[in-house]
Amino acid sequence: MGTDLFGISISGMNSAQIGLATTEHNIANANTPGFSRQQIVVSSSPGQYTGAGFIGQGSNVTTVKRIYDQFLASQTVAAQGQAAQLNTYSSQIQQINNMLADPNAGLAPALQDFFGAVNGAANSPESQPARQTLLSSAQTLSVRFQTLNQQLVSINNGVNGQITASVGNINSYAQQIAALNQNIASATSTGQPPNDLMDQRDQLITQLNQEITASVVKQSDGSYFVSVGNGQLLVAGSQAYSLQTVQSLNDPTKLEVAAGNGTSIVRLKSSSLQGGNLGGLLAFRSQSLDPAQNSLGLVALGLAGTFNAQHQLGQDLRGAPGGNLFTEAAPVVNSNSANIGNAVIGASIANTGQLTGSDYTLTYNAAGYTLQRLSDNTTVFSNLATLPATPVDGLSLNLVSGTPNAGDIYTIRPTVNGARDFAVAITDTAKIALAAPVRTNTALTNTGTGKIGAATVNAPPPTAANLRNNVTIQFTDATHYTVTDNSTLPAPTVLAASTPYDPNAGATLSFNGWTAKLSAAPNPGDTFTVGPNTSASTDNSNALLLAGLQTRSTLLGGTSSYQGVYGQLVSQIGNKTRELNVTSTAQNTIVQQAVQAQQAVSGVNLDEEAANLLRYQQAYQAAGKAMQIASTLFNTLLSIGG
Amino acid sequence: MRISTSTLYDVNAANLNQQQTLMFQTQQQIATGRRMLTPADDPAAAARALEVSQVDASNTQYINNLSAASSTLSLSDSTLQSVVTLLQNAHTKAINAVNPTLSNADRAALATDLQSSLDELVGLANSTDSNGNYLYSGFQGGITPFGQTAAGIQYLGDDGQRKVQGNASIQLSTSDSGADIFMRIKNGNGTFVTQTGASNSGSGIITQGVVNNPALLNSDQYQLKFNVSGGITTYDITDTTTGTALSAGNAYVNGQQITFNGMQFNIQGAPSDGDVFTIAPSTNVSIFQTLSNLISALRTPLIQGNIASTTQLNAALGAAQNGLMQGLDNVLTTRAALGSRMNTADSLTSTANSLGLQYKQTLSQLQEVDYNAAISELAKQSTTLQAAQKSFLQVQNLSIFNYL
Repeated sequence: MGTDLFGISISGMNSAQIGLATTEHNIANANTPGFSRQQIVVSSSPGQYTGAGFIGQGSNVTTVKRIYDQFLASQTVAAQGQAAQLNTYSSQIQQINNMLADPNAGLAPALQDFFGAVNGAANSPESQPARQTLLSSAQTLSVRFQTLNQQLVSINNGVNGQITASVGNINSYAQQIAALNQNIASATSTGQPPNDLMDQRDQLITQLNQEITASVVKQSDGSYFVSVGNGQLLVAGSQAYSLQTVQSLNDPTKLEVAAGNGTSIVRLKSSSLQGGNLGGLLAFRSQSLDPAQNSLGLVALGLAGTFNAQHQLGQDLRGAPGGNLFTEAAPVVNSNSANIGNAVIGASIANTGQLTGSDYTLTYNAAGYTLQRLSDNTTVFSNLATLPATPVDGLSLNLVSGTPNAGDIYTIRPTVNGARDFAVAITDTAKIALAAPVRTNTALTNTGTGKIGAATVNAPPPTAANLRNNVTIQFTDATHYTVTDNSTLPAPTVLAASTPYDPNAGATLSFNGWTAKLSAAPNPGDTFTVGPNTSASTDNSNALLLAGLQTRSTLLGGTSSYQGVYGQLVSQIGNKTRELNVTSTAQNTIVQQAVQAQQAVSGVNLDEEAANLLRYQQAYQAAGKAMQIASTLFNTLLSIGG
Repeated sequence: MRISTSTLYDVNAANLNQQQTLMFQTQQQIATGRRMLTPADDPAAAARALEVSQVDASNTQYINNLSAASSTLSLSDSTLQSVVTLLQNAHTKAINAVNPTLSNADRAALATDLQSSLDELVGLANSTDSNGNYLYSGFQGGITPFGQTAAGIQYLGDDGQRKVQGNASIQLSTSDSGADIFMRIKNGNGTFVTQTGASNSGSGIITQGVVNNPALLNSDQYQLKFNVSGGITTYDITDTTTGTALSAGNAYVNGQQITFNGMQFNIQGAPSDGDVFTIAPSTNVSIFQTLSNLISALRTPLIQGNIASTTQLNAALGAAQNGLMQGLDNVLTTRAALGSRMNTADSLTSTANSLGLQYKQTLSQLQEVDYNAAISELAKQSTTLQAAQKSFLQVQNLSIFNYL
């Protein structure tokens, strides 16, 4: 017989030593991100057969395992990726939210000041100071529009920068994961798990998911197979594939993500890139930033368009017809850079009141043109052989030159530059058209009670060429009148011969582009005239109409005022920000819970490790004591022999 | 459940952070006085506040418009008050002039007096506002509305009425056309005008007359021609527009009503043979013309013993008195309309003022912080934060390592 007392003691001491080392490793890594606590797995050595039965041969450490729960870990990773997207979106939209928040820097005060100045000019249309105030506040308004737009543009530039940084991070993580895959595969072949390498790789997966949602498939050799988006491979074994940023085909001001390098690149659809910072950035850009810029542009373009239209119906201080007070932005048409045909598509705004503020995609295929409105993904028209002659959504489209090729795509952004290009077109205060171009007059020789109201100019501009001709309305008898254009003398043009008139109902006359109302009972021979409103320095008719535009619902198909559209923008951004604040707070709680659950399993508790230290210390001391006893036994034998 | 040591720290840090954020927000609310720091704090209220502030700004604008309108209107009103006084004086003088004891020289003196009234009236009609714009020239504020021409004083302005926006739906006229005030004054009784023939030699004077049956009225002109033969005075009525005789050889009775075609008037005195009286639809005669006519009538000396010249003077004085009364009526009508516009402006202003208060109150409810609530919230948050800090210190002090 021969039980190896020393061997057993040594095995116990060894086990305790490894236990101590592992505990110390745990203590040392208590704050290492991604670290999973490790435990030794000790098993008893098989017993030695004797007549007295199997006698134990001590203990032996079979492996060091990490305490890791795959389910909890992937839950944490997913929660953190989601939280990263929400936090990124939230912090980005916060910029717009703050920009709109400032009660002094927002659009509303500038808009109110401008219309205040229009009203001021309406109260003293002849006053140069009042006119100058109008121009100056128009200037302030245009600067405000441009500043707000510039802020959105710089946010867009910031987004581009952050997309580049995020793609850089993704590439770096992919390379590190690939390198770790290789190390782990070779380490695993030894039969023991390389716990710390695996922790590092899992930590990298966590970090990768904070940039973009990645799906991970574990291979039989222990390496990870990582892909993003719609199955775009990022890491396969020891091989990493990189992503890159490229200019968008549809919009040169934006960066997109593509896979591959050199000429053979595959553009990844923004909608497929979800989660993480990158997902948050892309979602923010398409769901909040672009609509905000379009909305702001719509306010600017709508104001410029409707104000100009009314201004053109007026007459300036010198008696000339009004021109444009503001410059209006032209719609942007981006031809997809992958288009094959040489067609140049033109877009112009036909009616600002019908604009939707959305972007559009025009595609051409063998069946014809199809226009898609992006805000609600509605097909506006489909498969038309030629572009429609009538405007759609207030927009006129035409083929300027060339021929499209099947598959060609054009992105049309009607209002994107509305705010950027909003400027004051005139500098001469006399050119502000506050008066009406025509006025009506009742002859002093009239004996009847007949009255003619002020003439209004028919919208929309341009005004008729003969608008300011001298027109006479003469009653041949109490119930008939004749309308004559005297500006064509010596041969006056009869615009309406002997027209019946009902003194009780009155009549609305519309000739040469103006409209005026006759009422009450004229006598035979009574005459009314409509003619040019010369030297009308104190006429504020058009100014009142201009001032009235502030509250008129002229935009979005006649449902909203300028302020209304801006209010919608504020409310949309405010609501989205609030929603993101709430969901990201909720998501952060979920992350916290997931991390707690995961840490509850894998995290290091120092009190526990302290207890383990004592345990292994005592085990070591006990094994040492056993060795001492074995030694004493041996000495006893020796002394017998001696 | 196991708690990992790092979780202990992480969770505490996150909680403290969150509480600090909330406290910062409350502190910001108190410091700025704003309940909504950004639209996200209350998107619905933020959009509503935008609407209300626009309505409030428009409302303030209306108040400014109305105050400008009120000042123009009261300027116009006081000008017209002067016009009324002037016309009343002129009317009194026209009545005084009838006094048969007046000499030619007395009438000439009255004429001189009235001439200066006429000049004054033109001055009033050409009044300007504080900006130097003529009050009664329509749209052409820079054009002198009333000017002397070969055909007397003419209106050079137009019928345009300047307006201000009084509220979202009401536009208030701030000016009146000078033509309406001074030019469009019907002569006669407003429907037809009777006239004593310029070369009549008798003492017959025709009254203004009245409309006794509007249904029979037409717009033809008529002539009454008198025949005196053998001490019997008769008259014929002819429609001079159509050239047809209506009746002939009607017996004349001094002061008896003559009625035909809906018109009724009488002739007093003794018309001579061949005297004519005409009746025609009323036309517009400017107040300036009326005054000018009166002046020239007064300046025409009476020839002693000539009945005709007295008849002409009396006819002219009668027409002038009537014209001045009509003119006065016209100005008073304009003043009444003006007064009602001033009332409208006042009532719109007071409505706008009380609306303004409501808007401000709504805005303050939407935007401003409730200090009581915010300060007690801050106190609560700071207590919670302190408790969290203290308890964290206690928890993190616990470690077996302290006893090893």
